Amino acid sequence: MIDILGYKVYENVTVRDILTVVVVMIVTVLIAKIVTINVKRVLADRIRRDQLDFITKVIYFSIIIIAFLGVTPILGLNLTGLLVAGGVAGIVIGFASQSVVSNFISGLFLLWERPIKIGDAINVDGVFGIVEDIHIMSTIIRTFDGLYVRIPNERMFTSNITNLVANIARRVEYRIGISYSDDAGKAIKVINDVLSDEPFVLKEPSPDIFVDSLGESSVDVVIRFWTPTSEWYSIKTNMLWKIKVELEKNGITIPFPQRVVWFANKLGLEK
Amino acid sequence: MYGEYDIGDLNLDRDDFLIAVEKDDNFYVYRRLCKEEVSLKRIAGSGKIVLNPVEPVNIPKNITNFLEIELKDKIIIEPKSKITIYVTFPIEIGTFILNREFAILDVFTLTDPKYTLYGTPSKGVICRYWMSDVYGKVPKTDVLKEGVLELELLNSSEDWVEFGKVVLDVYGMKIYYDDTRVISKASVNITSRGIAETQFVDGKYKMKKAIEVYTAKRLHVLRRSFVMEWGL
Repeated sequence: MIDILGYKVYENVTVRDILTVVVVMIVTVLIAKIVTINVKRVLADRIRRDQLDFITKVIYFSIIIIAFLGVTPILGLNLTGLLVAGGVAGIVIGFASQSVVSNFISGLFLLWERPIKIGDAINVDGVFGIVEDIHIMSTIIRTFDGLYVRIPNERMFTSNITNLVANIARRVEYRIGISYSDDAGKAIKVINDVLSDEPFVLKEPSPDIFVDSLGESSVDVVIRFWTPTSEWYSIKTNMLWKIKVELEKNGITIPFPQRVVWFANKLGLEK
Repeated sequence: MYGEYDIGDLNLDRDDFLIAVEKDDNFYVYRRLCKEEVSLKRIAGSGKIVLNPVEPVNIPKNITNFLEIELKDKIIIEPKSKITIYVTFPIEIGTFILNREFAILDVFTLTDPKYTLYGTPSKGVICRYWMSDVYGKVPKTDVLKEGVLELELLNSSEDWVEFGKVVLDVYGMKIYYDDTRVISKASVNITSRGIAETQFVDGKYKMKKAIEVYTAKRLHVLRRSFVMEWGL
């Protein structure tokens, strides 16, 4: 047994050294996991989830990298020499793993630039969804209909990203047609009252309600108002019906498309 | 109305709201009816029920920790001067259960909540909005609807400044109350025509101190100031 442990694998590195490195790295991973779990437990209620994930990832990989740098001498590896000696191999490996490295570097830039955070609602190249996780090689998105989408970080980095929740307030816009016989001023007042009663329709920037055009069948009123981004969807989906109900209560009609047709000769029906 | 109640004795039936706790087998059942909204909680355990005013940023739901009070009449303040004014703030009533530690049961309000944006959509903050008259002394208010905020205004700039609104971070808001008054205190340091630093301070009034929602949520909060940089 002792002979096996003392068996030289290469240069002065023995099986014992390799086993030591393996054990140290396993213990390190365990320690890193324990530390990150405890950090998560302590900070869970105090900071945002995306910040917490970022911090725990940094801690986790820092512990592992420090441990790895610590054990490399046991393996007889001189990192400085390795960098120089590995130049040619590096080029070969570099070409072979171009996309891997590209994804890795893009991942680092994404973590640094932070155009998105975990939990953000985003649109990347037509993929709409919630950012579930940002890994070092890829970003995981859960689409609004519940699908799992993995996007390589290189694509994330080079695509147009629309972050739907990056700003704290968003605007909602409706267009409502009212009958030509109705009072547009009254309609605007009714709509304004409905918006005033809704807590999450923001006071400032103030709602904007105006007659935008005289359409074929209706007088078109445009309604624009702002809401906190967190409430945007629920407000957008609720307010239109509230406005419609309130307009009807006040005798304002939303007409169907209609066309007045004049006949040159009287209809046979009337004769 | 504010104060401590034995859990089985709480039964407040008023024109604008109803709060009652009833025994139901192994539970106490907390019911609150206000503005046609019902809150119902089952309590497994016992203790005292505490009702007091809380930081007014919880209704309809907590999306911000900022309160903006707009003054109906703007004030022009001379350079290098200090004045104290009184404004009102909206009341939200918190119901807590107390048995060694506090836990929140419910928060409701008799006022109509409204929110606003202070600053820009990208860099501003969402605030609970309230408009108030300006008073030179502590005004009389309905303690279930309006509290009084003692506002110390310091114009440390070299210019006359126009002051029309205050935005405050409610972390650290200390509210005191009795049967006739609900009061809190804040300071505003105006450093230039468009910039001021605001923060709640502990007025240490000789009244009962309200339990804060953030304390009850076990959030450790340092006293926080806010810099108003998008106009006063």
